[in-house]
Amino acid sequence: MALVTSVRDYINRMLQDISGMKVLILDSETVSNVSIVYSQSELLQKEVFLVEMIDSISASNESMSHLKAVYFVRPTSENVQKLRHQLANPRFGEYHLFFSNLLKDTQIHILADSDEQEVVQQVQEFYADFVAGDPYHFTLNMAANHLYMLPAVVDPSGLQRYSDRVVDGIAAVFLALKRRPVIRYQRTSDTAKRIAQETAKLMYQQESGLFDFRRTESSPLLLVIDRRDDPVTPLLNQWTYQAMVHELIGLQDNKVDLRAIGSLPKDQQVEVVLSSEQDAFFKSNMYENFGDIGMNIKRMVDDFQQVAKSNQNIQTVEDMARFVDNYPEYKKMQGNVSKHVTLVTEMSKLVEARKLMLVSQTEQDLACNGGQGAAYEAVTDLLNNESVSDIDRLRLVMLYALRYEKENPVQLMQLFNKLASRSPKYKQGLVQFLLKQAGVEKRTGDLFGNRDLLNIARNMARGLKGVENVYTQHQPLLFQTMESITRGRLRDVDYPFVGDHFQQGRPQEVVIFMVGGTTYEESRCVALQNSTNSGIRFILGGTAVLNSKRFLMDLEEAQRISRSGSHMV
Amino acid sequence: MATRNRTLLFRKYRNSLRSVRAPMTESKSGVGPVIEMASTSLLHPKRSYTPVSTEDPGTSSKGAVTVGLPPDWVDVSEEISVNIQRARTKMAELGKAHAKALMPSFGDGKEDQHQIESLTQEVTFLLRKSEKQLQRLSKGGPSEDSSVRKNVQRSLATDLQQLSMELRKKQSTYLKRLRLQKEDGGDLEMNLNGSSSRAEDDDFDDILFSEHQMSKIKKSEEISVEREKEIQQVVESVNELAQIMKDLSALVIDQGTIVDRIDYNIQNVSSTVEDGLKQLQKAERTQRSGGMVKCASVLVILCFIMLVLLILKEIIF
Repeated sequence: MALVTSVRDYINRMLQDISGMKVLILDSETVSNVSIVYSQSELLQKEVFLVEMIDSISASNESMSHLKAVYFVRPTSENVQKLRHQLANPRFGEYHLFFSNLLKDTQIHILADSDEQEVVQQVQEFYADFVAGDPYHFTLNMAANHLYMLPAVVDPSGLQRYSDRVVDGIAAVFLALKRRPVIRYQRTSDTAKRIAQETAKLMYQQESGLFDFRRTESSPLLLVIDRRDDPVTPLLNQWTYQAMVHELIGLQDNKVDLRAIGSLPKDQQVEVVLSSEQDAFFKSNMYENFGDIGMNIKRMVDDFQQVAKSNQNIQTVEDMARFVDNYPEYKKMQGNVSKHVTLVTEMSKLVEARKLMLVSQTEQDLACNGGQGAAYEAVTDLLNNESVSDIDRLRLVMLYALRYEKENPVQLMQLFNKLASRSPKYKQGLVQFLLKQAGVEKRTGDLFGNRDLLNIARNMARGLKGVENVYTQHQPLLFQTMESITRGRLRDVDYPFVGDHFQQGRPQEVVIFMVGGTTYEESRCVALQNSTNSGIRFILGGTAVLNSKRFLMDLEEAQRISRSGSHMV
Repeated sequence: MATRNRTLLFRKYRNSLRSVRAPMTESKSGVGPVIEMASTSLLHPKRSYTPVSTEDPGTSSKGAVTVGLPPDWVDVSEEISVNIQRARTKMAELGKAHAKALMPSFGDGKEDQHQIESLTQEVTFLLRKSEKQLQRLSKGGPSEDSSVRKNVQRSLATDLQQLSMELRKKQSTYLKRLRLQKEDGGDLEMNLNGSSSRAEDDDFDDILFSEHQMSKIKKSEEISVEREKEIQQVVESVNELAQIMKDLSALVIDQGTIVDRIDYNIQNVSSTVEDGLKQLQKAERTQRSGGMVKCASVLVILCFIMLVLLILKEIIF
């Protein structure tokens, strides 16, 4: 069962048993969880006539006792406090409380204590505590996503909150799937280890009754890995539709904010929705590359023109009747066409202005092929190119540094200096910080495929065969990881098990959680892998959905904190 | 899809706390149970009263009126949804009647026709009435539940639109098939006409048979006139429905667009509320200052004019 449907089922179950007019009250996190999978008109069908935030509910005192309040919030102490105030002075006729994660007994006690007027009808835990953007990809949308890079001593309480939230999210995913997994983690990452161990503690000790589901033949696998094992993927320019939109414009909970890109056609909405659930064109094109999308959009526009023409030709009453019948469909199509055309036009403008074709070719070469000398020259050329933007320069140098960390340090230094003189906006030492965080000594996986002979041979074979598309030749490290899992060759030394729960046989369901965030390139990789019917179903999750901007921002923030921390010490 | 129900534990805690609290709060009791009673009676008319609501009737009724009574628009919306429900059942009947009327039968089918007519009229009437009431729903003073009202209106509008669309489809298919039948009938008539005229020309003796034929022709003419009338009626009601559709389409949300996003709506509401507040404050300020200033300046100008007039009067006369 895919994640999107399970969240939808939760919401359906929440709303269908309560008759009459309802108001749905959400908090700042559940609002994303709900609105990414459920629409306003569907809520209206369930007689939910008002959706409010938990903060604004307590701001007013007007009584609405003809409405029933359905709360769906995270069980945080702030939310419980707000609820307590609300229950002491109720505005609504009935209260149905749904929490998106495990409630503590003390919290239930506090709530029961404040419910003097006995307005609470039910208290339930519905584990939809994650944002399910695509069927096999979820995110936790965490704001302070840089924390995973810091050692535990710098900000112990912050890191505790961080890993608590991650454990909650992972637990909710498995509760929604009704499974208890065996847990493995990436040995080199402290944060991944910590999260894996805390998850295991929750599932096998603290709440072992709750997680005791019917045994399946083989237990599913939870693999906790660290973003820093593959720092390359979030640094690359993307050329498939969904990933490209996120990289160039920005995708938040399947919404694109078009205000950021300046000039807009007048009748265009300032925000558009890109959801594979609601938009058939997007669903069939989200993983296609840019060139193919152009062709497909042209086809769509042609179709649309045909329809528009037939609608212009109205002569008889029957034509009119037909027009009125088809009008809603027509209008929907019009909105969809203009949405995709706007997006693609804007993106091709950006590609042109930032010379992304040129940049991306070098990026892909750096990520996939060898040849240090040629790479050095290509990067130097691009650093000298005036139309290349600052962020692309920084990324090029980072990719070069990750790839040729140990070869020819003089040339690496020269690139650092050139970057510093060219793009003074970026702080000194960010590239060095990245190397310290995700350099070759820190990494577990064979990121560039140059560690063992087999991979080298495979790379050479690929080089001889030639590639279909230079811009999309990069395969994220996750692909290799998934392949090893499928073949049962994931090494116990690199990815140890937690506790004494070992894998028996091949798992059928695998949840890979990436501490530090996922990318849409990886989400695509997982979706394609699932469509091959290998018998294993993968689900990918992360603390955030990254594009290069977000990844660099997290990096800068971590650098700033660790620097000020070291000054203090 | 695991869930965990914590209601029992919650109730347990609540009951145990109530027994602790009971002696303390006896003095200020009355509020809690009254609200319970008020909401209970309004929302679940069938549910039995809780035994706690044996309070002094004087105070409790007062509390119930102020706290528990839903606003007027709730009645309107309930009425609309009842009407929609009724229209829906009538629609089902209409579908059956259509099918029956189109079936070849030995009777003249007048009853069926009559039934269809009345049913169509009823459904159209219900839809129009609901639509009018829907417009009424949005009227009324600006209050905090205006967004609730708007959403109720939207959802009812969506229902209505669906229903009227269905009705239109039903009618147009009925109309089409009726026409088809009529054409067939027309051919038959032509044949009859031709043969009858030939009969008249050829043979005047067989007048009895001819009369019989004449009566037949008359009858079929009558039928065709009636059918014409029916078609006319159906066309009229289609037009009416088209109007309703137009009015409703302004209210219905386009699915799959940003307007249909829950988070977008929340942000929008809060920002529009803030905007509205700002505008109101601004208006208040300008109203206050503008009115005063205008009034004063008019008075000053008037004074000045009068003074000039007075001086002129003194000088001239």
